[in-house]
Amino acid sequence: MTAELQSQLVVGAILFVLGAIGFLTRRNLILMMLSAELMLHGVAVNLTAFGRYHGNASGQVFTIFVLTIAACEAGLALALILGLYQRRKSLDVHLWGNLGEPDLPQMSAEEGGRMAPQHPADMPTLTPAGRMPNSPVVPSNTKI
Amino acid sequence: MNSLLEQAPLLAPLALGILAVWMLLPREGGRAWVIAGLCGLSAMLWLTRNFLPPTDNWVQTGMFYTFAAGAVLSAVMMITESNPVYAALWFALTTLSVCGLFLINAAPFLAAATVVVYAGAIVVTFLFVIMLAQQGGATGYDRKAFQPTLASIAGFMLLACLLFTLQEWGGKAAVAVEGEDAPPPRPQFVLPPAHVVTNPLSAPMPRQDKPDQNDLGTLQGVGRSLFGDYLFAVELAGTVLLIATIGTIALAPRRSQGTL
Repeated sequence: MTAELQSQLVVGAILFVLGAIGFLTRRNLILMMLSAELMLHGVAVNLTAFGRYHGNASGQVFTIFVLTIAACEAGLALALILGLYQRRKSLDVHLWGNLGEPDLPQMSAEEGGRMAPQHPADMPTLTPAGRMPNSPVVPSNTKI
Repeated sequence: MNSLLEQAPLLAPLALGILAVWMLLPREGGRAWVIAGLCGLSAMLWLTRNFLPPTDNWVQTGMFYTFAAGAVLSAVMMITESNPVYAALWFALTTLSVCGLFLINAAPFLAAATVVVYAGAIVVTFLFVIMLAQQGGATGYDRKAFQPTLASIAGFMLLACLLFTLQEWGGKAAVAVEGEDAPPPRPQFVLPPAHVVTNPLSAPMPRQDKPDQNDLGTLQGVGRSLFGDYLFAVELAGTVLLIATIGTIALAPRRSQGTL
């Protein structure tokens, strides 16, 4: 039984590490999400193997919770991917590398950094909330 | 250095396997398919010999080797495939193999649930890939991996640490050393099952229809544990699902903003 548990743990570890490598190297947003799911698969194999080893149902119940969280993650990730694709028309994750601090060096795959130029249309806009109060500072003929 | 050499049976197949993944990752120019495949296969065989010993039950051993090899091979193909549609297909194969491993682990309900959930997820992912990734023809960002060397080294370190710990626990600690200068017994990571206190409703009970078998892994056993011991966690998971649904609806682009 111990040998069997160890084999399953090895397979789970390999799946987890492969998912991690995929998450680090792929530049496609959808494939990054699938790599994260691969890491969850490795964890699920571990959990069910331990449940079998201990002879109780806790491992399977934990795997059900992992499945739940994976479903939430997939929904949120696909919504985010759609929103990001709308702005840049591309699934390349490195187009979003300039969200960091401006004074830090940027890590880009290509030399020179082929960052997309920041169009003003790309910036998020806030919808105005409520009515502007009548204040003496703003002249009444100023268009807001 | 000597301790490194002692660990050669662990480190050498890992290095071979990671080298295979590194060679297969998409890059400019050709990839050395044959060399990478030979490296990967020898690494898998080597690891199988050292870490995955066959058990007495040959049917179970054969099934385990089939599903484990299928899962690992299709995972490698998934992360190294430059076409996202094929990568999603390989991910489906990985999921099926992992469901086979669930079956070996006496979790038939979980295997069925995973197939159902991931079938939906993968169909949706296909739709997204075909909608978004295939519009402009071939894309440059799928053809060239980002920092494959660094990622491979990081993966090698992580896997070596995991397997080293596992080996210390499972391999050497199992061999009892007799003699006067025997090292003191190590503390074990994983208690043997006899020393583990199970939650009261998660322990297997006799089946109602077949009293000579226990209900580990049946829907009855899983449901008793899920809605008995873990009832509050189920409520929390339901809340998380609700919040994720609300968040998804709030995040998804509106039609007024133009779809795609």
